[in-house]
Amino acid sequence: MKPPGWAQLVLWAVAGENEAEFVMGDLHEEFLLLCADRGRSAGSRWYVRQVFRSAATLLGLRFRSGEAAHLLAAALVAVAMPLLLLDRLWSFVYSHIPLKDGLDRAPGFWAANVVCVCACAALCGSLAHSLPRAAGVALAAAVGAACALWCSTATAPVFYAGLAILAGPASSMAVFAWRRSR
Amino acid sequence: MKWVKRIAIVFAVLLIVPAVALLIMGHRKNAGVAQVAAEINAPPDQVWTWIDDGDKLKQWVSWMVEVKYPDPQKTIGVGASRVLVMKDANNGGMLMQIVSKYSEYAPPSRMTVVVSDTQGLFTGGETYLLTDLGNGRTRLEVRGHFHYSQWFANFMEPLITPQAEKKMAMDMAHLKRLAETQAESR
Repeated sequence: MKPPGWAQLVLWAVAGENEAEFVMGDLHEEFLLLCADRGRSAGSRWYVRQVFRSAATLLGLRFRSGEAAHLLAAALVAVAMPLLLLDRLWSFVYSHIPLKDGLDRAPGFWAANVVCVCACAALCGSLAHSLPRAAGVALAAAVGAACALWCSTATAPVFYAGLAILAGPASSMAVFAWRRSR
Repeated sequence: MKWVKRIAIVFAVLLIVPAVALLIMGHRKNAGVAQVAAEINAPPDQVWTWIDDGDKLKQWVSWMVEVKYPDPQKTIGVGASRVLVMKDANNGGMLMQIVSKYSEYAPPSRMTVVVSDTQGLFTGGETYLLTDLGNGRTRLEVRGHFHYSQWFANFMEPLITPQAEKKMAMDMAHLKRLAETQAESR
């Protein structure tokens, strides 16, 4: 019997390579006991609760070990920076409209941003050598995209914001999985 | 190494393809030309006041905050000029001044202005053509042509012009609403 895959992925992403295996081993033992005692759905609920309860502590540990700092830096350079540069570029374009315009952007510009996020996150995902690292990179890509959106001057539609935050991790994990399968 | 090569190829494609596309599109026949047209349910003389009167201009051109007349003795006609003060939200809300000088003035059918901004970012012109369609209706065509002095702005022109045209269309729709409301109330 296995705990929910997405919760394991979150755990990998927040705990990092050094801690994830130990924490997962402990949680898995408890999960099996709970499943035998109260059923699988109760076990899964408990597992998910534990993952979210320990996320902040594990992230703190990861920061102190320096691993998260590298990931955050990578996300900033690889995802947030290109997005911010594109934001400046689109501001430049709109600023050069002779009779000026507001902070809304044409759909093509949002699409270009999403393509850029996907390409950059895919690049990071292709460089990850293990699942915990790939999950960390995916999380960092989402954080990077969210930071860039936060700092952006344009008024981003909710659909685009959601897509930019989710597309990065998805493409990063997809490239990692594709590379591992070859 | 194989992966580094692949990544480099992907990034080169992502950068080079748009750059080449922009270079090619920058040489198209109507580069820098933005034009819009609308049929307005108002007679030409009423529509004319909306494009000629500075206070009315502010009502339908978005992001325009003020219209100044450098020479209060000569505010209309060929040779007269006005300064359009625009708020540039994409440049930290800075106020930009655009000098608009009449080069053709034939009310209520045709007006051409030469425009340039005081920072020297662009020069160009705008022509307003009003055609009487009868029954109190007017066809208004606005044709703008702009040239950007900075090389990068010139390079980005294929992206700037469609957005300029879109903005003109939005303003035109606003003008249509205002002019038609005014015509109905009369």
